[in-house]
Amino acid sequence: MRLVPAILFASLVLIADYAGAQPEVSVTLSASPSEARVGEMIRLEARVQTQGGSIEGLQLEDLRKYPELEIVSHQTMRPMQFSFGFGRGVQKQSSLAHIYVFRASAEGTFAFSPAIAKVDGKVHRSEPLTIVVRGGAGTSSAPGGPSAAPPPPGDPDAELSGAKFDARAFLRTVVEPEEAYVGQQVNVTVYLYTRLRLGPQSLTPTKPPMDGFWVHDDPITNLQAQSASVRGLNYQVYPLIRSAAFPQRTGELTLGAPRVSFDVARMSLFDAAERVEREGIPVSVRVKPLPLPTPPNVVVGQYRAQARLDRTSVSTGDAVTLRVDVIGAGNVQDLRIDLPPMVGVRALQPAIRDRQTLNAGKLSGTRSWEWILIAETPGRHEVPPIEIHYFDPETETYASAGTTPLSFTATGAAKAPSATIEPARVDAEEAPAEFGPIRMYSALERDRSPVRSRDWFAWLLAIPPMAFAILVLGVALSRRREEQSTTAAAIQRKLLRSARAALEASDPREFYDRVVASLTHALETRLGQPVGGLPHTELRVRLSASGFDDDLVERVINELEGADFARFAASGINRDEMEHCLQRSAAIIDRVQASKGIA
Amino acid sequence: MRALFFVAALLFAESVSAQAPLSSLRDVFETANVAASRGDYKTSIAGYQTLVEAGVRDGDVYFNLATSFAQSGDYPRAILNYERALEFLPGDAKTEDNLRAAERTLEEQRAEAEGEATILRSSSMSDAMYASFTEDTLAYALIVFNLLFFGCLGFAWATRRRSNRLLGLAVGAGLLLGFSALGLGVKAGMFRDGLRAVALGDRVSLREGPDTDARIRGEARGGDRAEVLAIDRDFVKLRVVSGAEGWVEAASVGLVDPDARLH
Repeated sequence: MRLVPAILFASLVLIADYAGAQPEVSVTLSASPSEARVGEMIRLEARVQTQGGSIEGLQLEDLRKYPELEIVSHQTMRPMQFSFGFGRGVQKQSSLAHIYVFRASAEGTFAFSPAIAKVDGKVHRSEPLTIVVRGGAGTSSAPGGPSAAPPPPGDPDAELSGAKFDARAFLRTVVEPEEAYVGQQVNVTVYLYTRLRLGPQSLTPTKPPMDGFWVHDDPITNLQAQSASVRGLNYQVYPLIRSAAFPQRTGELTLGAPRVSFDVARMSLFDAAERVEREGIPVSVRVKPLPLPTPPNVVVGQYRAQARLDRTSVSTGDAVTLRVDVIGAGNVQDLRIDLPPMVGVRALQPAIRDRQTLNAGKLSGTRSWEWILIAETPGRHEVPPIEIHYFDPETETYASAGTTPLSFTATGAAKAPSATIEPARVDAEEAPAEFGPIRMYSALERDRSPVRSRDWFAWLLAIPPMAFAILVLGVALSRRREEQSTTAAAIQRKLLRSARAALEASDPREFYDRVVASLTHALETRLGQPVGGLPHTELRVRLSASGFDDDLVERVINELEGADFARFAASGINRDEMEHCLQRSAAIIDRVQASKGIA
Repeated sequence: MRALFFVAALLFAESVSAQAPLSSLRDVFETANVAASRGDYKTSIAGYQTLVEAGVRDGDVYFNLATSFAQSGDYPRAILNYERALEFLPGDAKTEDNLRAAERTLEEQRAEAEGEATILRSSSMSDAMYASFTEDTLAYALIVFNLLFFGCLGFAWATRRRSNRLLGLAVGAGLLLGFSALGLGVKAGMFRDGLRAVALGDRVSLREGPDTDARIRGEARGGDRAEVLAIDRDFVKLRVVSGAEGWVEAASVGLVDPDARLH
């Protein structure tokens, strides 16, 4: 009975040994990722693994079935492993793998039939595999730039505009739109069409000359490809250069030929290095003038404007900051604004700042002006609306944008702006405090010679002392004349008194001598020369020539003649007559003294 | 009275003639101000110098020019232009403060590099006495006190009045007349040997003769005050405040009087 179990055990061991002699085979087909986007890499692996068997082959039949999946690399792996088991002898484990790297260049669903492995004469199959490629990064524009997708030609055999065809690689310049208004944005994109594999970090594009354009570049930092078929050949298409260009003059403007050079990636260590250089072709843009009539200072784009004051109440002489922002699509650097004059307000030159961004192929931004307004007079000051005119190329019409009117109030007495007011600083370095601010106000007095060097200065200085000297001289002369006059009058009065004494003494001869002497003294004093010896005829002439009036002259001559006659016929003269003579003589002397006659 | 009216009419005519339109000059001034405020002193200096070359003689312009030089580190030229500003703005506290600050900064810089430094500045009593007056102010004062003094004398002479009040007025007017005349003389440089100048180069060699090969007998430092004693082609004979004399190249000194010329 004990023999039966032993036989059964031995039979089982033999069966097990027999079963162990059959190789274990597994065949797999996998992709990573199984869903990808155009342009992405897909790793496809077909693997057969066996233990104890001998792998004779591994096939993947659909490799060339899909040109949209470009084989970038292929690798074969055949690892083999031996093990020694107790009672089982040498165990052999081997595998064979084919690894392909594809680049998906088009959307689609790609079905792969099972990989077929032959092990020890027997055929083994994997599961079938499906790879899905969706549109993605390669077919869309790179964010933040003009269109990155080259317009695929409707007919694969059609000629491409802006390109010189080459079966291996060529450059293409795409301009959108090809006809534009002056100042309108034109997107310029340079593409590289290549059927060669690009060596990493070897791509060196050169921008096309863009004379006549103001250009805002949108640098490409990440190369992303899409596929395109040209003349029946599949190309990888890379956008190399993206720019927003604004034509600055009308007419036919030409964008020059771009250039590029790159290394072809080597597939193995034995492949020769190859440097490829390509040059594109010039492309023209037809630039139209803006429609007439053109508003003043018009710009192209779409804009809106806003303004604000940093405060609405200040002291006279203090500053208010007026900020105007013009925001919109277009080249904001073309914008110009003139601040309307404001009565009683002085505006310093504005600080201007620009911010520009490219979004979805449209250049937009903000230009900001900051004026320092200094209220020089008190009261309410109005900042009038500021208007800009623009031409919208999409609607091909002119439009305007303006700011709302603003106002601020200045209080305090009118005065010149404070010297300590400073304008807005842009990137200003802090001034050392010890020298302080500059002075914002100056009368700007121009070249003036000093007062002392002017002609009138010497005269003004000389006039007072000269006037004083003249005054002194005049007063002295006047006093001297007065003194002289006083003395002469006294003598004449003395002579007349002696004449009266002779009258009282009844001495006619003496009386008339004194009368003649007093008259002669009065005349000599007045004329300043002796007249006593002159005949009466000549005396008459001299008195008349000296300016005495005729009546006085006549009286003087008559009185002298009467006195002379009476001296020699004194006995016939009575007292009354002498009394009258004395009174007439005194009257004549008074008239002579007061006479305007010139001595 | 008529004389006073005449003086007033003359002064009015002068002021009217000086108020010509200055729009373009003002644009230059404001552009320079903006540049200075932004720290662009090269532009601001060029702007203010344009105004000076255009004939502007204004203390505030010289102040800004000097401040721009000071901010850009050219202290000798800052000192020169602060001196010029004080000619137009005598006694201006901020200008005087900045002048002293420029001198102090220059001294400190030199002292740090050389151990010791002194800026030689004029310290005459007459200059100090009349520092607060402009030359024109003194000239006008001279005219007024001259008129007052001789007016008092003439009145006294003509009227034969000998009151103490009139005598006091005449004496006071006479003293002020003398003060004004002396000050005008000081300002006009009648008591100086030459034009006021400031050394501009860091080290200005004082030479025996007007030639670059002439022997060096001393040196002036940038910012030192001096007087120009003689001019010979492109050289000037300088006497610095310390008393040292010598010939220097004309380009290495600046005259405080902006209208004076060395060439």
